[in-house]
Amino acid sequence: MARLKFYCDAERCIECNGCITACKNENDVPWGVNRRRVVTIKDGEQGERSLSVACMHCSDAPCAAVCPVDCFYTTEDGLVLHDKDICIGCGYCFYACPFGAPQFPQDGAFASRGKMDKCTFCAGGPEENGSSAEYKKYGRNRLAEGKLPLCAEMCATKALLAGDANVLADIYRERVIYRASSSLRRGVDLQKQNLGGNPGAGS
Amino acid sequence: MNAYGLLWGLLLALLSTAAQAQNDTPPQSGIWIPNPGADLWKAVRQRGQPEPSTTQVQGLDSNQLINVAGEKFRDWRRERFIRYAAYLLAGVPVVILLFHMLHGAMKLEPSGRKLLRFDLYDRVAHWLLATVFLFLAFTGLLLLFGRFVIVPWLGLDAFSPIASASKEGHNLFGPLFLVALLWVFLRFVARNLPAWRDIVWLLKGGGAFGGKHPSAGFFNGGEKLWFWSLAVFGLLLSLSGLLLDFPSYAPSRELLVLALVVHGAAAVILVAFSFGHIYMGTAGVEGTLEGMRDGTVDANWARQHHDQWYAEMVREGRLEALSEAQENRAETTTGQLEEGRT
Amino acid sequence: MTVAELVDGPLWTVALTVFVAGVAWRLLVLIATGWKRDLSHPRSGSLGGAIRGVVGRFLPSQGMAGRLRLHLVAGYLFHLGLFALLFFAAPHVDFYRDRLFGFDWTPLPHWAFILAAEAAFLGLLMLWLNRVLNPVTRLISESGDHAASVLTFLVMLTGCLALARSHETLRLLHFFVVELFMIYFPFSRLMHSFTFLLSRAAQGAHYGRRGVRV
Repeated sequence: MARLKFYCDAERCIECNGCITACKNENDVPWGVNRRRVVTIKDGEQGERSLSVACMHCSDAPCAAVCPVDCFYTTEDGLVLHDKDICIGCGYCFYACPFGAPQFPQDGAFASRGKMDKCTFCAGGPEENGSSAEYKKYGRNRLAEGKLPLCAEMCATKALLAGDANVLADIYRERVIYRASSSLRRGVDLQKQNLGGNPGAGS
Repeated sequence: MNAYGLLWGLLLALLSTAAQAQNDTPPQSGIWIPNPGADLWKAVRQRGQPEPSTTQVQGLDSNQLINVAGEKFRDWRRERFIRYAAYLLAGVPVVILLFHMLHGAMKLEPSGRKLLRFDLYDRVAHWLLATVFLFLAFTGLLLLFGRFVIVPWLGLDAFSPIASASKEGHNLFGPLFLVALLWVFLRFVARNLPAWRDIVWLLKGGGAFGGKHPSAGFFNGGEKLWFWSLAVFGLLLSLSGLLLDFPSYAPSRELLVLALVVHGAAAVILVAFSFGHIYMGTAGVEGTLEGMRDGTVDANWARQHHDQWYAEMVREGRLEALSEAQENRAETTTGQLEEGRT
Repeated sequence: MTVAELVDGPLWTVALTVFVAGVAWRLLVLIATGWKRDLSHPRSGSLGGAIRGVVGRFLPSQGMAGRLRLHLVAGYLFHLGLFALLFFAAPHVDFYRDRLFGFDWTPLPHWAFILAAEAAFLGLLMLWLNRVLNPVTRLISESGDHAASVLTFLVMLTGCLALARSHETLRLLHFFVVELFMIYFPFSRLMHSFTFLLSRAAQGAHYGRRGVRV
């Protein structure tokens, strides 16, 4: 089987937040829940980069490891999904997740935050594929319809990609090679213009 | 592949080549190829100086791309805490049982004369704390070990409501523990101030391994050790628990993870300690439970375990020293009792 | 019929009927019994005495205040907390609207609901521990007193366990204990939630007529 992954290309992401809007709209997520978010590093400075991040569907998921009720399961496509009927909303997954993917619909006192919600790679949950119960709890099951996650499908700059890890790796490798040649050219240009492109060289 | 999957591996490979390129001394007049990724991935993985990062999404640490504390939490919970907690909580009762089989209960020869040891408020405060503690320990241990003990036995669907009930009950009863703890602390602290004889008592192991019963005041060294452990670990437990009750007020996930670590460690220590306390209060030492149930203890119990307190009570005239005749009578009654038993 | 259907359906009807009819019957009987005619010359109004009896007993008399400190604090914590929980907790207000009255009112915010629960649990635990540990109350307590305390505690505890409102099993457990509570209510000490008014008023009126100030 394929191993499904997301990949976000920081050289392409323009922080348009279109992926977030697409996700919210397609999955009808509760207020306050953000299955995906765009983080910008060095906003407004030189070297500014943005990345769209959601559940990365880890091979050895920390959320599943710390869950006290064992509500996570990995599909044969390598997706980490969870069962909201089992979840007790303790929040341990949120503490363990490296990417801040788990979200909680409420924000009340005494940790009354409801059941955890996170990106499903548009693959629903344990309910019957395409059922209304599944839609209500987990949002659209696009994968069962033969479609990829809407966030990646909607990405205008094709920064966010979703699909089989091997295919994504090939696409990424190709991009890196093109970029390497273009930055080589850029280095030559900088030197020609005597702009001191090498900080290590001094003067 | 590791936890972050194939793509992160790829990205890391890029990062490492970039870092290598930077570490090598660049040629003076060579062509420098700026790698836009190097600084970015450094910032993403929170290495070196933190870079400012922003996001439109509101939430705890939502501008952080990679939460470094998460992996530590997983490692601590799965690889250490659950295992060592299980060893400790299974080991302590075994040790107590072995001790009881070898040593037996500390017998009491009742004199028939009573001394007031704990007044009503002492007892209500104690049992309030005990009730809340037992409930919290039970629900907490269910949440800690349920996945490994109950789930293989009853299944995920059956454990989920048990776990949900435990979580809600634990969250709600938590603050009551702090109230009861403060009440117990205020009522008992004056009688638990450490003294030199307590250290002697502890060094002699409370006289459990032969030898004369070491001297003790109202509380002996062991009881004072339990009191101060309860005070310190109980406070840590309550404060970390309160933070975990209001996770949305926590400034970062790191602090919440720290609170979970402190909470778990303090809880397991106190539960292990409470096994000993419960044993000493019930099966271990005859006549002790009576003090917390009725408030009174037998005069011989006081003389046996708390000689200095007993002497003080006699000095203050709370109990006239037993005359020889009374002592003889007490002995004969015990003798008769033992005869009747055999 | 499954256990769930039984608890949610017929058993609830039975419990509600027993509760309403039982309470009404017991109160009617008490009032219908009447009072013995007092032939003495009234020294003061019995109505004023009755009001004084009902209101004045909300605080212990001066001489007893010190001894009843625990009862006073724990008693108010428990009863006020329970009252707030019973009538103003959001899940209960929803229940009254859907299953009883058809209309609702503003519930407490979640934090106040929890605070009321904390107060009620603390108060009930302290009162019950006092009942068991105080030699006087221990001697005068009967099985009915303990049953009422334990049943009330179980109602509150199962409610607390079902706080997440996510598992049907937990809601049914709470509901089942509530039904037992309602069936037991009219024939037990729990009737004091209604009869305290009658007894206080009767005693107050009696004292008032005799001109006794309490």
